[in-house]
Amino acid sequence: MKFLPLLWYGIWRKPIRTTLIFLQVCVAFALFGVLQGMKTGMDRAIANTPADVLYVGPAVYGEPPLPMADLSRLQSVPGVKAVSFNQGILAFYQKPTQVVYVLGIEPTDLMRTLLPEELIAQPEAFAALRKTRTGILITADIGRKYGWHVGDKVPLTSSTLQTNGSATWTFDIVGMVTFNNRDHGVYVFANYSYIDEARALNKGTVGHFFAVASDPKQAAAVSDAIDHAFANSASPTHTESFRESAQEDLRSLGDLNFAIRSILSAVLVALVFSTATMMMQAVRERTPELAVLKTLGFDSRTVFLLIATESILICIAASLAGLALAWITFPFAAKYIAGLSMPMVIMVFGILGAVLVALISVSLPGLRAARLNIVDALAEEQ
Amino acid sequence: MDFLKQLGMLLRMNLLGLLQRLGLACTTVIGVTCAVGVLVSMLAMSVGARRAAMGNVRPDRASVLNVDAVEPGRSNMPKDQAELIANLPGIRRNSRGQPIAVPEVAVYVQARRKDSGNAVGFPMIGAGAGLTDYAPELHLTAGRMFRPGLPEIIASNYCAHRYQNFSVGNEQLIGGGEWLVVGNFDLGHTTGSCFVYADANSVLSAFRRSSYNEVNVMLQSPAAFDELVNAIKSNPQLPVRVEHEAELAEATEQQVNGLLNFVSYFVAAVLAVAATIGAANSLYALVDSRRRQHATLLAIGFTGAPIIASTLSEAILLAIPGALIGAGLAWLFFNGLSSSLLEFSFHLAVTPYLAALGIGWALGMGVISGLLPAVRAARVPVTVALRTK
Repeated sequence: MKFLPLLWYGIWRKPIRTTLIFLQVCVAFALFGVLQGMKTGMDRAIANTPADVLYVGPAVYGEPPLPMADLSRLQSVPGVKAVSFNQGILAFYQKPTQVVYVLGIEPTDLMRTLLPEELIAQPEAFAALRKTRTGILITADIGRKYGWHVGDKVPLTSSTLQTNGSATWTFDIVGMVTFNNRDHGVYVFANYSYIDEARALNKGTVGHFFAVASDPKQAAAVSDAIDHAFANSASPTHTESFRESAQEDLRSLGDLNFAIRSILSAVLVALVFSTATMMMQAVRERTPELAVLKTLGFDSRTVFLLIATESILICIAASLAGLALAWITFPFAAKYIAGLSMPMVIMVFGILGAVLVALISVSLPGLRAARLNIVDALAEEQ
Repeated sequence: MDFLKQLGMLLRMNLLGLLQRLGLACTTVIGVTCAVGVLVSMLAMSVGARRAAMGNVRPDRASVLNVDAVEPGRSNMPKDQAELIANLPGIRRNSRGQPIAVPEVAVYVQARRKDSGNAVGFPMIGAGAGLTDYAPELHLTAGRMFRPGLPEIIASNYCAHRYQNFSVGNEQLIGGGEWLVVGNFDLGHTTGSCFVYADANSVLSAFRRSSYNEVNVMLQSPAAFDELVNAIKSNPQLPVRVEHEAELAEATEQQVNGLLNFVSYFVAAVLAVAATIGAANSLYALVDSRRRQHATLLAIGFTGAPIIASTLSEAILLAIPGALIGAGLAWLFFNGLSSSLLEFSFHLAVTPYLAALGIGWALGMGVISGLLPAVRAARVPVTVALRTK
């Protein structure tokens, strides 16, 4: 404790230098935070994707939707526990750039809890949707964007026409839902029964089914069984588990992971070298002062600890600032990469990394300071 | 004249002095090396991806799409229109005198990866007669061409290597029917993605479709494009538009490169900031160690300008080797390396342009890091500096 003023003086001896070291470490750790956040975000997204939910769509992209009548047949495929479905219609609010994607669903508890990591919805919201045929559930994002509130009536324009030829669909906002993926901010939930009855074309069809496998380990086998069952029907299907498609998405980012690791190594090397040089410079400039300290009776260990603590303090403070900076940028980066997150373990790694950087870079200058020969050091000043 | 003379002397003095402060000099060099190395390596991915996507593009090829189609996949081209298009002026004819106009229909279907067994999508392209005339870069490496009217496909070698059951003789279940793989091929520079060709009529009937997506034409010359456009404009029966092959390839390429460029520039910019700060710090230390020198020089009649200029030049001179080393390392380690992104693989390419870009960035880092230390060097209070150590 009694060394605190000494430490403080040492840190602020050259304010510009300390500030620049601080900034450099801060920027480096901000980059670490963003890159690691990206990686853990993706890993976590995969781990959280339910392995038992299968996505059943038309076998060929762009093919006509699947008939609703397939539902019962799908339920009878061995290994399928439950089935739900949705039908999206693309619409816009006031002008074509303000896209709203209306998902027609069955407001059941199955649908509400199908993707617990993705969709957070209160039972009350789904109950309200069940009660109001023309109801929709909206996200806070879209509410803010267009100034919508629960209780409002909103007219949406869609190229999916109604039976009376109208392109305008009027919905009543009856509740809120939350999507963890901000990309889904433009989604709203509506009643499938209303949409299907009101639309002019494709009546009695759905965009895709969600099938829940009774045993997650059998998901792949159940997928194949479903596709096999519909292979020779009028509407062949393609089924894959959410987990599988998340893995494929990640894999498709290919060598980005390798790139992240290489970049971080490069940053670390440059950073350590830079801080080490600056510490060396500091110790060199302070040689006379350190010599005086030793003359006053400070032993080599204390001098070393003093120098080391200085650099550790700067590095930890700077790494915390950097991680905080990264955390602040997450909402902006989420536009490009979904699901960024900074779990505790990354913070801990960051701080440990900072200590490591400080220790490596202080080792040489610290030893030099500790081994200082008083007579030579004082003589150097002349 | 005086300015240049003073600058020259100062620079020589500074550079000789650097030898005693190698650590500080290296900080700048290593920082810039890292920033430029990362920038060049990551952009080498974009350049490589672009080369793979755009390498086959020829100025004398064009695609005819439906007039209001936003992308080829959403275009709709009825058979009768395709026939009319084939007979328009400006289209080259093959050795047998037939126009090189190939109707195409593309469907997206799934295959399974060899390594994970996971499903992945790939385009199956149904092509009409004349594919080999239209795409002379299509080179069969095994087997033969598909025959019209039969459920036969030829698959790119990428499919054969990465996905299950794409070797000659294998059968694939696509769209509810069995398709026989009769050949494998390479397509010029586009060797990094999976796609298969089949006969257009076989695909249309297997997928219960009645119209193509587009008609690809080989023009008599790049200049014949306008002739074709005018002929289409004057024919009210054809609600279609023509696009250069390059424009369509560009749109596809943007999907991969948009992400790559964003990540590259973002990361490189952050590294450049860190390197600039580090360089500024070491320059401050250098300048501080020369306080007495500068004070003496000012006292004997040097002006501030050459001191500022010499410090800035020093910063730039330190940044340039960093840029060269960085670009050199990127070339050494990554040039030609194969990489993949979004089911699309390509070779990294470190080009002279990228090296020049790296040097440009380094100059920027040098100037910015040198500015404040340079001003500080010239502002030494002469009396104080001379009196104290």
